[in-house]
Amino acid sequence: MLVSFNLVMALAAVPAALLARRVGPGRAAAVGLAIFAGAGLACGLADSLSTLIVARCLQALGGAAAVTAALELLPAAVGSERRAATVWAAAGATGAALGPAIGGLLTELVSWQSIFLLQVPAALAAAVPILSVAKHEAATGVIEPELRRTGRPHVWANLALAMVSAAIAAALFLLVLLLIEGWRLSPIEAAAVVSVMPLAALAGARLSELVADARSRAAAGAILVSGGLAGLAFLPKATVALTVPPQILVGVGLSLVLSALTETALGGRAPQAIHGGWTISARHAGVVIGLLALTPIFTHDIAQQRHDAINAGTAVILDSPVNPLLKIDLAEKVSERLEEERGKVPTIGPAFEPLPSDPTERAEVVQLREELQDQLNRGATHAFSTSFLLAALLGLIALFPIALAREVEL
Amino acid sequence: MRGRVLVIGAIVASLVLVGAYLAAGGSSYAPEKTQNPCKPRPWSNPQSLGEIANQFTNSALDGAACQLGVSRETLAQALATPEGRKRFAEKYGITDAKLAKAIRAGLIRAVDDAEEAGALSPLLATPLRATLQHIPLKEAIELIQDAKSLLGNVQSFLGPASGIIEQFLP
Repeated sequence: MLVSFNLVMALAAVPAALLARRVGPGRAAAVGLAIFAGAGLACGLADSLSTLIVARCLQALGGAAAVTAALELLPAAVGSERRAATVWAAAGATGAALGPAIGGLLTELVSWQSIFLLQVPAALAAAVPILSVAKHEAATGVIEPELRRTGRPHVWANLALAMVSAAIAAALFLLVLLLIEGWRLSPIEAAAVVSVMPLAALAGARLSELVADARSRAAAGAILVSGGLAGLAFLPKATVALTVPPQILVGVGLSLVLSALTETALGGRAPQAIHGGWTISARHAGVVIGLLALTPIFTHDIAQQRHDAINAGTAVILDSPVNPLLKIDLAEKVSERLEEERGKVPTIGPAFEPLPSDPTERAEVVQLREELQDQLNRGATHAFSTSFLLAALLGLIALFPIALAREVEL
Repeated sequence: MRGRVLVIGAIVASLVLVGAYLAAGGSSYAPEKTQNPCKPRPWSNPQSLGEIANQFTNSALDGAACQLGVSRETLAQALATPEGRKRFAEKYGITDAKLAKAIRAGLIRAVDDAEEAGALSPLLATPLRATLQHIPLKEAIELIQDAKSLLGNVQSFLGPASGIIEQFLP
Protein backbone atom coordinates (compact mmCIF):
# COMPACT_ATOMS: atom_id res chain seq x y z
CA MET A 1 0.00 0.00 0.00
CA LEU A 2 2.71 2.40 1.13
CA VAL A 3 4.66 2.32 -2.12
CA SER A 4 1.98 1.36 -4.68
CA PHE A 5 1.53 4.95 -5.87
CA ASN A 6 5.28 5.58 -6.17
CA LEU A 7 5.90 2.24 -7.86
CA VAL A 8 3.31 2.88 -10.58
CA MET A 9 4.59 6.45 -10.98
CA ALA A 10 8.14 5.15 -11.43
CA LEU A 11 7.02 2.64 -14.05
CA ALA A 12 4.48 4.82 -15.86
CA ALA A 13 6.22 8.21 -16.04
CA VAL A 14 8.26 7.63 -19.21
CA PRO A 15 5.52 5.73 -21.13
CA ALA A 16 3.08 8.48 -20.09
CA ALA A 17 5.48 11.11 -21.45
CA LEU A 18 5.78 9.21 -24.74
CA LEU A 19 1.99 9.10 -24.93
CA ALA A 20 1.86 12.83 -24.26
CA ARG A 21 4.22 13.34 -27.21
CA ARG A 22 2.02 11.17 -29.41
CA VAL A 23 -1.45 12.53 -28.59
CA GLY A 24 -0.41 16.03 -27.55
CA PRO A 25 0.38 17.37 -24.06
CA GLY A 26 -2.93 19.18 -23.71
CA ARG A 27 -4.98 16.05 -24.29
CA ALA A 28 -2.62 13.89 -22.19
CA ALA A 29 -2.73 16.34 -19.30
CA ALA A 30 -6.52 16.72 -19.47
CA VAL A 31 -7.11 12.96 -19.56
CA GLY A 32 -4.45 12.42 -16.89
CA LEU A 33 -6.07 14.96 -14.57
CA ALA A 34 -9.50 13.43 -15.18
CA ILE A 35 -8.18 9.95 -14.29
CA PHE A 36 -6.40 11.43 -11.25
CA ALA A 37 -9.61 13.12 -10.08
CA GLY A 38 -11.76 10.01 -10.66
CA ALA A 39 -9.28 7.76 -8.91
CA GLY A 40 -9.01 10.29 -6.06
CA LEU A 41 -12.77 10.07 -5.60
CA ALA A 42 -12.49 6.28 -5.55
CA CYS A 43 -9.72 6.53 -2.91
CA GLY A 44 -11.87 8.77 -0.74
CA LEU A 45 -14.84 6.44 -0.96
CA ALA A 46 -12.86 3.18 -0.77
CA ASP A 47 -14.35 0.67 1.67
CA SER A 48 -11.45 -1.79 1.56
CA LEU A 49 -7.68 -1.75 1.41
CA SER A 50 -7.61 -3.50 -1.97
CA THR A 51 -9.94 -0.87 -3.50
CA LEU A 52 -7.75 1.87 -2.07
CA ILE A 53 -4.58 0.30 -3.52
CA VAL A 54 -6.13 -0.11 -6.99
CA ALA A 55 -7.44 3.46 -6.91
CA ARG A 56 -4.01 4.77 -5.82
CA CYS A 57 -2.39 2.92 -8.73
CA LEU A 58 -4.89 4.52 -11.12
CA GLN A 59 -4.14 7.90 -9.56
CA ALA A 60 -0.46 7.33 -10.24
CA LEU A 61 -1.21 6.57 -13.92
CA GLY A 62 -3.24 9.76 -14.27
CA GLY A 63 -0.68 11.73 -12.29
CA ALA A 64 2.20 10.49 -14.47
CA ALA A 65 0.40 11.64 -17.62
CA ALA A 66 -0.53 15.03 -16.16
CA VAL A 67 2.87 15.83 -14.62
CA THR A 68 4.98 14.90 -17.65
CA ALA A 69 2.61 16.61 -20.09
CA ALA A 70 2.70 19.73 -17.91
CA LEU A 71 6.38 20.10 -18.74
CA GLU A 72 5.48 20.36 -22.43
CA LEU A 73 2.76 22.90 -21.72
CA LEU A 74 4.77 25.12 -19.38
CA PRO A 75 7.11 26.83 -21.89
CA ALA A 76 4.14 28.53 -23.56
CA ALA A 77 2.97 29.76 -20.17
CA VAL A 78 6.30 30.91 -18.69
CA GLY A 79 8.18 32.01 -21.79
CA SER A 80 11.06 29.55 -22.22
CA GLU A 81 12.02 25.91 -21.82
CA ARG A 82 14.67 26.78 -19.23
CA ARG A 83 12.21 28.75 -17.14
CA ALA A 84 9.68 25.92 -17.57
CA ALA A 85 12.21 23.39 -16.27
CA THR A 86 12.99 25.61 -13.25
CA VAL A 87 9.32 26.14 -12.38
CA TRP A 88 8.51 22.45 -12.87
CA ALA A 89 11.45 21.36 -10.70
CA ALA A 90 10.60 23.87 -7.97
CA ALA A 91 6.96 22.74 -7.99
CA GLY A 92 8.10 19.13 -7.49
CA ALA A 93 10.37 20.08 -4.56
CA THR A 94 7.67 22.19 -2.90
CA GLY A 95 5.11 19.40 -3.30
CA ALA A 96 7.47 16.88 -1.70
CA ALA A 97 7.97 19.16 1.29
CA LEU A 98 4.33 20.23 1.68
CA GLY A 99 2.72 16.79 1.39
CA PRO A 100 3.14 15.44 4.94
CA ALA A 101 2.13 18.72 6.60
CA ILE A 102 -1.07 19.10 4.56
CA GLY A 103 -1.85 15.39 4.90
CA GLY A 104 -1.52 15.49 8.69
CA LEU A 105 -3.63 18.63 8.93
CA LEU A 106 -6.48 17.16 6.86
CA THR A 107 -6.33 13.80 8.66
CA GLU A 108 -6.76 15.48 12.03
CA LEU A 109 -9.22 18.21 11.05
CA VAL A 110 -11.42 16.15 8.73
CA SER A 111 -10.35 12.57 7.88
CA TRP A 112 -7.74 10.73 5.85
CA GLN A 113 -10.36 10.35 3.10
CA SER A 114 -10.53 14.14 2.80
CA ILE A 115 -6.94 14.17 1.46
CA PHE A 116 -8.17 12.30 -1.62
CA LEU A 117 -11.56 13.98 -1.90
CA LEU A 118 -9.95 17.43 -1.95
CA GLN A 119 -7.72 16.30 -4.80
CA VAL A 120 -10.83 15.92 -6.99
CA PRO A 121 -11.76 19.63 -7.32
CA ALA A 122 -8.06 20.59 -7.34
CA ALA A 123 -7.34 18.28 -10.31
CA LEU A 124 -10.50 19.36 -12.16
CA ALA A 125 -9.63 23.03 -11.61
CA ALA A 126 -6.16 22.40 -13.05
CA ALA A 127 -7.73 20.73 -16.08
CA VAL A 128 -9.94 23.72 -16.99
CA PRO A 129 -7.24 25.94 -18.56
CA ILE A 130 -5.79 22.92 -20.37
CA LEU A 131 -9.08 22.08 -22.12
CA SER A 132 -8.64 24.76 -24.77
CA VAL A 133 -5.17 23.37 -25.62
CA ALA A 134 -6.62 19.87 -25.76
CA LYS A 135 -9.41 21.05 -28.09
CA HIS A 136 -6.87 22.72 -30.35
CA GLU A 137 -4.79 19.52 -30.46
CA ALA A 138 -7.90 17.50 -31.27
CA ALA A 139 -8.60 19.85 -34.16
CA THR A 140 -5.06 19.99 -35.58
CA GLY A 141 -4.18 16.43 -34.62
CA VAL A 142 -0.47 15.78 -34.98
CA ILE A 143 2.85 16.55 -33.35
CA GLU A 144 5.72 17.43 -35.64
CA PRO A 145 7.69 14.25 -36.37
CA GLU A 146 11.13 15.70 -35.51
CA LEU A 147 10.02 16.33 -31.96
CA ARG A 148 9.34 12.64 -31.47
CA ARG A 149 13.07 11.91 -31.43
CA THR A 150 14.26 11.36 -27.87
CA GLY A 151 17.79 11.59 -26.59
CA ARG A 152 19.34 9.39 -23.90
CA PRO A 153 18.40 10.27 -20.32
CA HIS A 154 20.97 11.96 -18.06
CA VAL A 155 22.05 8.87 -16.15
CA TRP A 156 24.08 10.52 -13.35
CA ALA A 157 21.56 13.24 -12.58
CA ASN A 158 18.71 10.71 -12.52
CA LEU A 159 20.71 8.30 -10.37
CA ALA A 160 21.48 11.10 -7.92
CA LEU A 161 17.81 12.08 -7.94
CA ALA A 162 16.83 8.51 -7.04
CA MET A 163 19.27 8.39 -4.11
CA VAL A 164 18.38 11.80 -2.77
CA SER A 165 14.66 11.04 -3.13
CA ALA A 166 15.14 7.85 -1.12
CA ALA A 167 16.80 9.91 1.63
CA ILE A 168 14.12 12.62 1.54
CA ALA A 169 11.25 10.11 1.56
CA ALA A 170 12.83 8.48 4.58
CA ALA A 171 13.19 11.87 6.28
CA LEU A 172 9.54 12.76 5.77
CA PHE A 173 8.10 9.33 6.46
CA LEU A 174 10.29 8.47 9.47
CA LEU A 175 9.89 11.87 11.10
CA VAL A 176 6.09 11.73 10.85
CA LEU A 177 6.16 8.19 12.24
CA LEU A 178 8.49 9.21 15.09
CA LEU A 179 6.24 12.11 16.05
CA ILE A 180 2.94 10.22 15.89
CA GLU A 181 3.83 6.65 16.85
CA GLY A 182 6.91 7.33 18.96
CA TRP A 183 6.19 10.58 20.76
CA ARG A 184 2.39 10.18 20.59
CA LEU A 185 1.67 13.54 18.96
CA SER A 186 -1.69 13.92 17.22
CA PRO A 187 -1.62 14.14 13.38
CA ILE A 188 -2.34 17.88 13.53
CA GLU A 189 0.50 18.46 15.99
CA ALA A 190 2.81 16.38 13.81
CA ALA A 191 1.67 18.35 10.75
CA ALA A 192 2.50 21.60 12.56
CA VAL A 193 5.94 20.27 13.46
CA VAL A 194 6.84 19.05 9.97
CA SER A 195 5.61 22.28 8.39
CA VAL A 196 9.10 23.56 9.23
CA MET A 197 10.38 21.62 6.21
CA PRO A 198 8.25 23.31 3.50
CA LEU A 199 8.95 26.71 5.07
CA ALA A 200 12.67 25.96 4.94
CA ALA A 201 12.23 24.69 1.37
CA LEU A 202 10.87 28.12 0.42
CA ALA A 203 14.05 29.69 1.83
CA GLY A 204 16.04 27.09 -0.13
CA ALA A 205 14.26 28.14 -3.33
CA ARG A 206 15.39 31.76 -2.77
CA LEU A 207 18.93 30.52 -2.14
CA SER A 208 18.76 28.53 -5.40
CA GLU A 209 18.21 31.72 -7.35
CA LEU A 210 21.46 33.19 -6.01
CA VAL A 211 23.71 30.37 -7.28
CA ALA A 212 23.87 29.61 -10.98
CA ASP A 213 25.98 26.45 -10.78
CA ALA A 214 23.52 23.53 -10.58
CA ARG A 215 26.18 21.03 -9.50
CA SER A 216 27.14 23.11 -6.46
CA ARG A 217 23.48 23.55 -5.56
CA ALA A 218 22.91 19.82 -5.87
CA ALA A 219 25.99 18.99 -3.77
CA ALA A 220 25.12 21.54 -1.09
CA GLY A 221 21.54 20.27 -1.03
CA ALA A 222 22.57 16.63 -0.68
CA ILE A 223 24.97 17.55 2.15
CA LEU A 224 22.26 19.52 3.97
CA VAL A 225 19.74 16.70 3.60
CA SER A 226 22.32 14.24 4.98
CA GLY A 227 23.31 16.60 7.78
CA GLY A 228 19.67 17.08 8.78
CA LEU A 229 19.05 13.34 8.73
CA ALA A 230 22.17 12.71 10.83
CA GLY A 231 20.88 15.34 13.27
CA LEU A 232 17.59 13.44 13.53
CA ALA A 233 19.57 10.24 14.12
CA PHE A 234 21.38 11.82 17.07
CA LEU A 235 18.53 13.64 18.82
CA PRO A 236 19.72 14.15 22.41
CA LYS A 237 16.19 14.32 23.84
CA ALA A 238 12.63 13.54 22.80
CA THR A 239 11.70 17.19 22.35
CA VAL A 240 9.90 18.63 19.34
CA ALA A 241 12.08 21.78 19.38
CA LEU A 242 15.17 19.67 18.69
CA THR A 243 13.68 18.44 15.41
CA VAL A 244 13.51 22.00 14.08
CA PRO A 245 17.21 22.58 13.18
CA PRO A 246 17.51 19.22 11.34
CA GLN A 247 14.25 19.93 9.52
CA ILE A 248 15.56 23.32 8.41
CA LEU A 249 18.62 21.62 6.93
CA VAL A 250 16.53 18.94 5.19
CA GLY A 251 14.02 21.51 3.87
CA VAL A 252 16.64 23.88 2.45
CA GLY A 253 18.62 20.90 1.16
CA LEU A 254 15.73 19.20 -0.61
CA SER A 255 14.75 22.41 -2.35
CA LEU A 256 18.32 22.95 -3.57
CA VAL A 257 19.08 19.39 -4.62
CA LEU A 258 15.78 18.38 -6.26
CA SER A 259 15.53 21.49 -8.40
CA ALA A 260 19.24 21.47 -9.35
CA LEU A 261 19.24 17.79 -10.34
CA THR A 262 15.96 18.07 -12.25
CA GLU A 263 17.30 21.07 -14.15
CA THR A 264 20.53 19.16 -14.87
CA ALA A 265 18.60 16.10 -16.07
CA LEU A 266 16.51 18.26 -18.39
CA GLY A 267 19.29 20.62 -19.50
CA GLY A 268 19.93 20.49 -23.26
CA ARG A 269 17.66 17.53 -23.70
CA ALA A 270 14.54 17.39 -25.84
CA PRO A 271 11.76 16.64 -25.75
CA GLN A 272 11.41 17.83 -22.17
CA ALA A 273 8.37 15.68 -21.37
CA ILE A 274 10.36 12.48 -21.94
CA HIS A 275 13.30 13.63 -19.80
CA GLY A 276 10.90 15.00 -17.24
CA GLY A 277 9.40 11.53 -17.25
CA TRP A 278 12.81 10.06 -16.48
CA THR A 279 13.24 12.42 -13.52
CA ILE A 280 9.77 11.53 -12.18
CA SER A 281 10.59 7.87 -12.65
CA ALA A 282 13.95 8.26 -10.85
CA ARG A 283 12.43 10.19 -7.95
CA HIS A 284 9.61 7.73 -7.35
CA ALA A 285 11.89 4.72 -7.82
CA GLY A 286 14.10 6.29 -5.14
CA VAL A 287 11.11 6.66 -2.81
CA VAL A 288 10.17 3.00 -3.37
CA ILE A 289 13.71 1.77 -2.79
CA GLY A 290 14.19 3.99 0.27
CA LEU A 291 10.96 2.89 1.95
CA LEU A 292 11.38 -0.79 1.06
CA ALA A 293 14.98 -0.82 2.30
CA LEU A 294 14.36 1.09 5.52
CA THR A 295 10.97 -0.31 6.58
CA PRO A 296 12.29 -3.72 7.76
CA ILE A 297 15.16 -1.98 9.56
CA PHE A 298 13.06 0.43 11.59
CA THR A 299 10.33 -2.18 12.16
CA HIS A 300 12.96 -4.43 13.73
CA ASP A 301 14.49 -1.53 15.66
CA ILE A 302 11.10 -0.43 17.01
CA ALA A 303 10.44 -3.94 18.37
CA GLN A 304 13.95 -4.11 19.87
CA GLN A 305 13.77 -0.65 21.43
CA ARG A 306 10.29 -1.34 22.82
CA HIS A 307 11.72 -4.41 24.52
CA ASP A 308 14.75 -2.47 25.83
CA ALA A 309 12.55 0.43 26.99
CA ILE A 310 10.20 -1.92 28.86
CA ASN A 311 13.18 -3.57 30.56
CA ALA A 312 14.67 -0.19 31.46
CA GLY A 313 11.24 0.94 32.70
CA THR A 314 10.94 -2.19 34.83
CA ALA A 315 14.35 -1.38 36.33
CA VAL A 316 13.13 2.14 37.10
CA ILE A 317 10.06 0.73 38.89
CA LEU A 318 12.10 -1.83 40.84
CA ASP A 319 14.71 0.72 41.91
CA SER A 320 12.22 3.44 42.86
CA PRO A 321 11.70 4.19 46.56
CA VAL A 322 7.90 3.84 46.21
CA ASN A 323 6.21 1.56 48.76
CA PRO A 324 6.57 -2.03 47.46
CA LEU A 325 2.84 -2.86 47.49
CA LEU A 326 1.94 0.37 45.68
CA LYS A 327 4.80 -0.37 43.29
CA ILE A 328 3.26 -3.72 42.39
CA ASP A 329 -0.13 -2.08 41.82
CA LEU A 330 1.54 0.40 39.46
CA ALA A 331 3.52 -2.34 37.72
CA GLU A 332 0.29 -4.29 37.11
CA LYS A 333 -1.42 -1.22 35.64
CA VAL A 334 1.61 -0.43 33.46
CA SER A 335 1.62 -4.08 32.30
CA GLU A 336 -2.06 -3.73 31.37
CA ARG A 337 -1.23 -0.62 29.31
CA LEU A 338 1.52 -2.56 27.55
CA GLU A 339 -0.90 -5.40 26.80
CA GLU A 340 -3.56 -2.97 25.51
CA GLU A 341 -1.12 -1.16 23.25
CA ARG A 342 0.90 -4.17 22.22
CA GLY A 343 3.30 -3.29 19.38
CA LYS A 344 3.04 0.46 20.07
CA VAL A 345 4.81 2.82 22.42
CA PRO A 346 2.32 2.89 25.33
CA THR A 347 0.83 5.95 26.98
CA ILE A 348 1.55 5.24 30.62
CA GLY A 349 0.01 8.34 32.24
CA PRO A 350 -3.37 6.68 33.00
CA ALA A 351 -1.61 3.83 34.86
CA PHE A 352 -0.55 6.35 37.53
CA GLU A 353 -4.03 7.75 38.17
CA PRO A 354 -5.23 8.51 40.78
CA LEU A 355 -2.06 9.79 42.45
CA PRO A 356 -1.60 8.95 46.15
CA SER A 357 -2.86 11.55 48.61
CA ASP A 358 0.23 11.38 50.84
CA PRO A 359 2.58 14.19 49.62
CA THR A 360 5.79 12.14 49.95
CA GLU A 361 4.30 9.13 48.20
CA ARG A 362 2.77 11.36 45.53
CA ALA A 363 6.16 12.97 44.81
CA GLU A 364 7.78 9.53 44.55
CA VAL A 365 5.07 8.27 42.17
CA VAL A 366 5.30 11.40 39.99
CA GLN A 367 9.07 10.99 39.77
CA LEU A 368 8.65 7.31 38.91
CA ARG A 369 6.15 8.20 36.15
CA GLU A 370 8.57 10.75 34.67
CA GLU A 371 11.51 8.36 34.77
CA LEU A 372 9.44 5.60 33.19
CA GLN A 373 8.21 7.95 30.44
CA ASP A 374 11.81 9.03 29.85
CA GLN A 375 12.87 5.42 29.21
CA LEU A 376 9.97 4.94 26.78
CA ASN A 377 10.85 8.20 24.99
CA ARG A 378 14.46 7.10 24.75
CA GLY A 379 13.41 3.80 23.19
CA ALA A 380 10.96 5.43 20.77
CA THR A 381 13.57 7.96 19.64
CA HIS A 382 16.49 5.56 19.41
CA ALA A 383 14.37 3.13 17.33
CA PHE A 384 14.65 5.53 14.38
CA SER A 385 18.37 6.34 14.72
CA THR A 386 19.76 3.63 12.44
CA SER A 387 17.17 4.33 9.74
CA PHE A 388 17.86 8.07 9.82
CA LEU A 389 21.61 7.37 9.63
CA LEU A 390 21.20 5.03 6.66
CA ALA A 391 19.05 7.62 4.91
CA ALA A 392 21.78 10.21 5.59
CA LEU A 393 24.29 7.82 4.05
CA LEU A 394 22.12 7.56 0.91
CA GLY A 395 22.20 11.35 0.65
CA LEU A 396 25.98 11.35 0.92
CA ILE A 397 26.37 8.55 -1.65
CA ALA A 398 24.37 10.73 -4.05
CA LEU A 399 27.38 13.08 -4.05
CA PHE A 400 29.22 10.64 -6.35
CA PRO A 401 26.74 10.80 -9.25
CA ILE A 402 26.38 14.53 -8.57
CA ALA A 403 30.13 14.93 -9.04
CA LEU A 404 29.88 13.02 -12.34
CA ALA A 405 26.80 14.88 -13.59
CA ARG A 406 27.74 17.42 -16.25
CA GLU A 407 25.36 20.28 -16.74
CA VAL A 408 24.37 21.01 -20.33
CA GLU A 409 23.03 24.46 -21.10
CA LEU A 410 19.61 24.59 -22.66
CA MET B 1 26.92 33.77 -4.46
CA ARG B 2 29.58 31.32 -5.55
CA GLY B 3 28.82 27.63 -5.62
CA ARG B 4 31.83 26.77 -3.47
CA VAL B 5 30.64 29.07 -0.67
CA LEU B 6 27.26 27.32 -0.72
CA VAL B 7 28.86 23.85 -0.47
CA ILE B 8 31.20 24.92 2.35
CA GLY B 9 28.26 26.54 4.16
CA ALA B 10 26.30 23.29 3.86
CA ILE B 11 29.20 21.25 5.27
CA VAL B 12 29.71 23.65 8.19
CA ALA B 13 25.98 23.80 9.03
CA SER B 14 25.74 19.99 8.97
CA LEU B 15 28.85 19.48 11.10
CA VAL B 16 27.78 22.09 13.65
CA LEU B 17 24.34 20.50 14.02
CA VAL B 18 25.61 16.92 14.32
CA GLY B 19 28.47 17.99 16.60
CA ALA B 20 26.11 19.90 18.91
CA TYR B 21 23.68 16.98 19.14
CA LEU B 22 26.48 14.50 19.82
CA ALA B 23 27.95 16.79 22.48
CA ALA B 24 24.50 16.99 24.10
CA GLY B 25 24.40 13.19 24.40
CA GLY B 26 22.70 12.24 21.13
CA SER B 27 24.74 9.07 20.67
CA SER B 28 23.70 7.65 24.05
CA TYR B 29 20.04 8.71 24.13
CA ALA B 30 18.70 5.17 24.40
CA PRO B 31 17.03 3.10 27.14
CA GLU B 32 19.34 2.35 30.09
CA LYS B 33 21.03 -1.04 29.88
CA THR B 34 19.91 -3.57 32.46
CA GLN B 35 22.41 -4.72 35.07
CA ASN B 36 23.86 -8.26 35.16
CA PRO B 37 21.85 -9.93 37.97
CA CYS B 38 24.83 -12.12 38.94
CA LYS B 39 26.84 -9.04 39.95
CA PRO B 40 26.32 -7.90 43.56
CA ARG B 41 23.86 -5.02 43.90
CA PRO B 42 25.04 -2.26 46.20
CA TRP B 43 22.79 -1.75 49.22
CA SER B 44 22.20 1.77 50.45
CA ASN B 45 21.71 2.42 54.15
CA PRO B 46 18.03 1.63 54.67
CA GLN B 47 16.12 4.21 56.68
CA SER B 48 12.85 2.31 56.99
CA LEU B 49 11.28 -1.11 56.75
CA GLY B 50 9.90 -0.12 53.32
CA GLU B 51 13.43 0.52 52.04
CA ILE B 52 14.59 -2.81 53.43
CA ALA B 53 11.69 -4.54 51.66
CA ASN B 54 12.58 -2.77 48.38
CA GLN B 55 16.26 -3.71 48.54
CA PHE B 56 15.47 -7.18 49.78
CA THR B 57 13.07 -7.71 46.83
CA ASN B 58 15.67 -6.46 44.34
CA SER B 59 18.39 -8.72 45.73
CA ALA B 60 15.99 -11.67 45.73
CA LEU B 61 15.01 -11.00 42.13
CA ASP B 62 18.69 -10.65 41.18
CA GLY B 63 19.53 -13.97 42.84
CA ALA B 64 16.64 -15.81 41.18
CA ALA B 65 17.28 -14.21 37.77
CA CYS B 66 20.98 -15.07 37.98
CA GLN B 67 20.12 -18.70 38.66
CA LEU B 68 17.63 -18.79 35.76
CA GLY B 69 19.97 -17.00 33.35
CA VAL B 70 17.59 -14.08 32.67
CA SER B 71 17.63 -10.42 33.67
CA ARG B 72 16.05 -9.19 36.89
CA GLU B 73 13.64 -7.12 34.78
CA THR B 74 12.52 -10.10 32.68
CA LEU B 75 11.83 -12.08 35.83
CA ALA B 76 9.95 -9.19 37.44
CA GLN B 77 7.76 -8.87 34.31
CA ALA B 78 7.08 -12.62 34.47
CA LEU B 79 6.00 -12.37 38.10
CA ALA B 80 3.88 -9.25 37.57
CA THR B 81 0.89 -11.04 36.04
CA PRO B 82 -0.25 -14.65 35.47
CA GLU B 83 -0.14 -14.01 31.67
CA GLY B 84 3.43 -12.74 32.02
CA ARG B 85 4.42 -15.88 33.95
CA LYS B 86 2.82 -18.06 31.26
CA ARG B 87 4.67 -16.25 28.45
CA PHE B 88 7.90 -16.47 30.44
CA ALA B 89 7.46 -20.22 30.96
CA GLU B 90 6.79 -20.75 27.23
CA LYS B 91 9.68 -18.58 26.08
CA TYR B 92 12.36 -19.90 28.42
CA GLY B 93 10.97 -23.40 29.09
CA ILE B 94 11.02 -22.79 32.87
CA THR B 95 8.52 -24.71 34.98
CA ASP B 96 6.83 -23.30 38.09
CA ALA B 97 8.92 -25.68 40.24
CA LYS B 98 12.17 -24.42 38.72
CA LEU B 99 10.98 -20.84 39.11
CA ALA B 100 10.03 -21.42 42.75
CA LYS B 101 13.44 -22.97 43.49
CA ALA B 102 15.12 -19.97 41.91
CA ILE B 103 12.98 -17.58 43.98
CA ARG B 104 13.94 -19.46 47.14
CA ALA B 105 17.63 -19.22 46.19
CA GLY B 106 17.09 -15.53 45.42
CA LEU B 107 15.60 -14.87 48.85
CA ILE B 108 18.62 -16.51 50.45
CA ARG B 109 20.94 -14.34 48.34
CA ALA B 110 18.99 -11.29 49.50
CA VAL B 111 19.76 -12.19 53.11
CA ASP B 112 23.44 -12.69 52.15
CA ASP B 113 23.55 -9.31 50.37
CA ALA B 114 21.87 -7.53 53.27
CA GLU B 115 24.25 -9.10 55.72
CA GLU B 116 27.29 -8.33 53.58
CA ALA B 117 26.19 -4.71 53.21
CA GLY B 118 25.83 -4.43 56.97
CA ALA B 119 22.10 -3.80 56.65
CA LEU B 120 21.23 -6.99 58.48
CA SER B 121 22.92 -8.26 61.61
CA PRO B 122 24.38 -11.80 61.45
CA LEU B 123 22.26 -12.50 64.55
CA LEU B 124 19.17 -12.02 62.41
CA ALA B 125 20.55 -13.21 59.05
CA THR B 126 21.35 -16.73 60.23
CA PRO B 127 17.86 -17.71 61.39
CA LEU B 128 16.31 -15.96 58.37
CA ARG B 129 18.50 -17.96 56.00
CA ALA B 130 17.66 -21.19 57.82
CA THR B 131 13.93 -20.48 57.60
CA LEU B 132 14.15 -19.69 53.89
CA GLN B 133 16.14 -22.84 53.16
CA HIS B 134 13.37 -24.88 54.66
CA ILE B 135 10.43 -23.36 52.76
CA PRO B 136 8.75 -26.40 51.18
CA LEU B 137 8.72 -26.34 47.38
CA LYS B 138 4.90 -26.50 47.33
CA GLU B 139 4.70 -23.32 49.41
CA ALA B 140 7.38 -21.71 47.30
CA ILE B 141 5.31 -22.39 44.17
CA GLU B 142 2.27 -20.79 45.84
CA LEU B 143 4.45 -17.79 46.59
CA ILE B 144 5.06 -17.10 42.91
CA GLN B 145 1.40 -17.28 41.83
CA ASP B 146 1.39 -13.51 41.73
CA ALA B 147 3.72 -10.74 42.71
CA LYS B 148 1.42 -9.26 45.33
CA SER B 149 1.10 -12.52 47.23
CA LEU B 150 4.87 -13.01 46.94
CA LEU B 151 5.53 -9.62 48.48
CA GLY B 152 2.71 -10.06 50.97
CA ASN B 153 4.29 -13.31 52.08
CA VAL B 154 7.73 -11.74 52.30
CA GLN B 155 6.27 -8.93 54.40
CA SER B 156 4.34 -11.28 56.63
CA PHE B 157 7.52 -13.29 56.94
CA LEU B 158 9.45 -10.18 57.88
CA GLY B 159 6.51 -8.83 59.93
CA PRO B 160 7.13 -10.60 63.24
CA ALA B 161 10.78 -9.69 62.93
CA SER B 162 10.14 -6.05 62.03
CA GLY B 163 10.54 -4.86 65.59
CA ILE B 164 13.92 -6.54 65.81
CA ILE B 165 14.92 -5.40 62.30
CA GLU B 166 14.08 -1.77 63.08
CA GLN B 167 16.43 -1.95 66.06
CA PHE B 168 19.21 -2.84 63.62
CA LEU B 169 18.51 0.09 61.29
CA PRO B 170 21.29 2.65 61.27
